[in-house]
Amino acid sequence: MRHRGLFIAVVLAVACFDIRLAAETPAPRRDPAAQRQALLEANTVLQDEIKLAARPQTYLLVDVHQGVVLVKARGIEIHRLLLLSWRARGDQPPMGLFRLTARPPVDRPKTRPGEDATEHPIDLSDMPAEYQLILEPSLVVAIGPPVQDHPWLWLRGLIREGWNRAFSKGSDAWLRVVLPPESARSLAWSVNEGMPVLIGRSTLP
Amino acid sequence: MVLAVTALVAGLFAYQFGGSREVESRILTAESRNTSSLARLRAQHAALKQQLAAYAPTGAYIVVDTARNRLYVKRRAAVLLDAVVSTGSGTILDHPDQPERRWIFDTPRGAFAVQSKLVNPAWVKPDWAFLEEGRLIPANAGERVEAGILGEYAFGFGNGYFIHGTLYTRMLGRNVTHGCIRLNDDDLRTVNQLAGIGTPLIIF
Repeated sequence: MRHRGLFIAVVLAVACFDIRLAAETPAPRRDPAAQRQALLEANTVLQDEIKLAARPQTYLLVDVHQGVVLVKARGIEIHRLLLLSWRARGDQPPMGLFRLTARPPVDRPKTRPGEDATEHPIDLSDMPAEYQLILEPSLVVAIGPPVQDHPWLWLRGLIREGWNRAFSKGSDAWLRVVLPPESARSLAWSVNEGMPVLIGRSTLP
Repeated sequence: MVLAVTALVAGLFAYQFGGSREVESRILTAESRNTSSLARLRAQHAALKQQLAAYAPTGAYIVVDTARNRLYVKRRAAVLLDAVVSTGSGTILDHPDQPERRWIFDTPRGAFAVQSKLVNPAWVKPDWAFLEEGRLIPANAGERVEAGILGEYAFGFGNGYFIHGTLYTRMLGRNVTHGCIRLNDDDLRTVNQLAGIGTPLIIF
């Protein structure tokens, strides 16, 4: 019992540490150099998005500055997910055009001949709320729920992240995004392998 | 046990917040910062936004949300139709005798366009429909045709997928189809009025 209490205390301490870090997202600076940097980034993102919009496809736009993950096609916003917080190495979110190489696996029910294939469909609730999106060039986007709502899922994500960084080669870049569980599931539902993912500032500061 | 868990968590944190790794990001050069004026960059931004906006559909377009089973017909920001649909079940059917043949009953995601419009369409049943019913696949193509179950219209968007009507209206709002998008009769008529061949269709 005493051990269990100690373990919960450790988890809570870790959780509080994470909340504090998440809250320490750097505030945008207003000096001309920072504005110029932001404008250059926004323009680079727009140039990349124009290339994506020219093709018949859906794509993701992740803008941590605006706090959104957008599903888009032809330059128009199709679906908006609000992110709660984000974290990346060195206070700098990754930026650029990526391609999704691995999405969270879906456990699809099999039907046998003579059975109604539509009897046990998969739906949104079958999607995970904690998972990783593996992107190319090398970037791991860890999606998870807020620690205060789902401490176990959060801890699982942290362990997975640590494990992957310890044992995988060439995937130094990472971004952790905290979404409400429904939004995380919705994102897992909407993504396809091969889908372009554009990460960066989409609006002017 | 407690020590082991504490050590694990502490190790993970030390690894995560250690200063040895940097995010891969584009570092914009000092030279470009110096030569670019804010005004010029803002003008460039406005021009790029305009360029992006040119790819947006100018007329009506269809958006299908397969997670929530909704179909919207939109024109710019205006929603012209908000309808409940049925989309793909996501289940798998394997051919009993040919292991290489497998069907995944998903509605495809992506950007498409309406390629064909059929009035009072008949369903030409594919192989999986017979297997699912536990029947033999007929040699005679005529045995595949079934009329009156797809509604008044069917809008094809490629690879045998259609937006069509349904007899199973009580299943609307659920993921129960083999990949097609089912609508009730009234909404199907509205889609027919608002959309035609070439209408953009975005499915997510």
